[in-house]
Amino acid sequence: MNPRRVTAVFLRIVAQFRRDRRTLALLFGAPIAIIALLGWVLSSSGATTSRVAIVNASGNPAGNAIVLKLTAALNGQPKVQVVDVRDSATARQMLIDNKLDLVVSVPADFSLQNRKIQLTTLGLNPAGESTVIPAIQQALIGAVVQDAGGALPTIERSTVYGSPDATQLDTLAPVVVGFFVYFFVFILTGVSFLRERMGGTLERLMATPVSRSEIVLGYSLGFGFFATLQIALVLAFVIGRLDVPALGPVPAFAIGLGVKAIGSPLIAYLIVLVLGLGAVSLGIFISTFARSEFQILQFIPIVIVPQGLLGGFFWPIDQLPGLLQPLARILPVTYAIDGLRQVMIAGADLTSPAVLLDLGVLAGIAAIFVVLATATIRREVV
Amino acid sequence: MAVASPIAVEAIALRKSFGPIHAVDGIDMALPAGKIYGLLGPNGSGKTTLIRLLTGLASATSGTVRVNGVAMPSRTNLASIGYMTQADGIYPELSVWENLSFFGALYGQTDRAAMIKTLELVDLADRLDSPAQDLSGGMRRRLSMACALVHHPRVIFLDEPTVGVDPALRVQFWQHFRRLAADGATLLVSSHVMDEADRCDELLFIRSGRVLAQGTSEELRKRAGTDDIETAFLRFAEGPGPDGSGGTPTAAAQDKNGAAR
Repeated sequence: MNPRRVTAVFLRIVAQFRRDRRTLALLFGAPIAIIALLGWVLSSSGATTSRVAIVNASGNPAGNAIVLKLTAALNGQPKVQVVDVRDSATARQMLIDNKLDLVVSVPADFSLQNRKIQLTTLGLNPAGESTVIPAIQQALIGAVVQDAGGALPTIERSTVYGSPDATQLDTLAPVVVGFFVYFFVFILTGVSFLRERMGGTLERLMATPVSRSEIVLGYSLGFGFFATLQIALVLAFVIGRLDVPALGPVPAFAIGLGVKAIGSPLIAYLIVLVLGLGAVSLGIFISTFARSEFQILQFIPIVIVPQGLLGGFFWPIDQLPGLLQPLARILPVTYAIDGLRQVMIAGADLTSPAVLLDLGVLAGIAAIFVVLATATIRREVV
Repeated sequence: MAVASPIAVEAIALRKSFGPIHAVDGIDMALPAGKIYGLLGPNGSGKTTLIRLLTGLASATSGTVRVNGVAMPSRTNLASIGYMTQADGIYPELSVWENLSFFGALYGQTDRAAMIKTLELVDLADRLDSPAQDLSGGMRRRLSMACALVHHPRVIFLDEPTVGVDPALRVQFWQHFRRLAADGATLLVSSHVMDEADRCDELLFIRSGRVLAQGTSEELRKRAGTDDIETAFLRFAEGPGPDGSGGTPTAAAQDKNGAAR
């Protein structure tokens, strides 16, 4: 291992990037833009008012009483608007015409002994429609219990980590950071090394005294350097928040998402960096199996998308079907997501066995791909 | 000049097979240092594969290669070997200087003045900061050559260095090769253009992965009984040389593509 040659490879990659302004812009601009978009989307979800109709088909005193109480309870809820609708057929049509979000029906056989109430939504977007249902349930319990003369039950939410009012963004943002770095480092290294293979420069490198491991190390340093800058910028954007006051015609706005991170950003940084170093070798390894940039892109659905689906991004690993769980447990992104959540949400530090395990597995996976990448470099081109 | 020059490039029973195809099919050669050798043969005759074997970039199916007495492949020996590939093999986004100093660093060349001198030899010293992608085709070719010579190698392999190079530049290239040989370097230049033959000290006719004949241009033409080097090549390719010594009869006997059999 000759430091001069490693440095030469490292500096060359930095020089190449410096001249490729578009890729630099992509590297730093794209994750910020997408995370900002995600923050915007998530912050506004549930902000719209749900239009609810209560249809009383019972006509008996028990039904009338519950309708009155439900109406009063729902009117007391934020973001709920009670719409007056006479019969269920009209209500159904109004759901279809998108004039209503939810219909609460008190059926004809409603009685004090049979307190059954129907909730109807359109069903096209189950996730969005259900946001108002917890409020209805609470109102309903309140109404029914009040009816029996008891005290109103109250529900208090608490969580071990974070806070119950943590937004989806607070839990998603750390994960998105790791995923982006992995994606960009993989694609950029894959394409760079493919160009090295196809452009005849790899042949040239192999005709110099540089060794394969010196090339892999130089690449890791070069891409690690840009990954470092990228992680720093993205983490700063996610964690930090700079409120800019209104100035003349420009309304007040904020730069950064201000996600509440409890743990040390430095440990989060370390996790993403080890993940990114694995992606460098993965990119070099994958470039062996591609003949063009387009073929590198074909590896996105094979290499990147499964990690997004299985890595704990959408569903916890232990809720996956049994056969998929072992698969999820060999994916590096799984460990990065777990580590980032441990650190940023649960506030774990380097004394936490879970974080150490995550870091260890990530380092191990990176080491495996360093060996694979090194082994494939001198693959003969016929 | 009575003392024989040391052997710079040596191959013994060298073979390289890709499945059923024998790209290099039993080549023996011993090239004394300080000369320009021309590796002549049609496309697909095995010239590039032979050079890749000699530089240690490809591993031989069987046989031995020695460069400056060191068995190849040897990574450390590459510091005294220059290889100009058929493709330009330079980084288009990097400037002339960045390309040259990158390869210089890999070869262990640290002398900035020496590197600038290499660029002067290929007439690119005034384009130090131009990105390689802004250069003309001929300039890129020259930069590629400079990258192969940046460390003053003792043995230089040039794979079709003059392809796509205009005649004036080609003359410059050959003048430069001659200077390098005069300084004691050994050059092996592959070409499929026969009119470059007279510029070499010695020629190796190569076809179907075998050396058909070796000698000076004059000798080979005389043995083939023609004044034209192209005709000489074809006569050697048809079978054993007219005087019975030019060809490689054992190889010719196995040649399934041999037209004359």
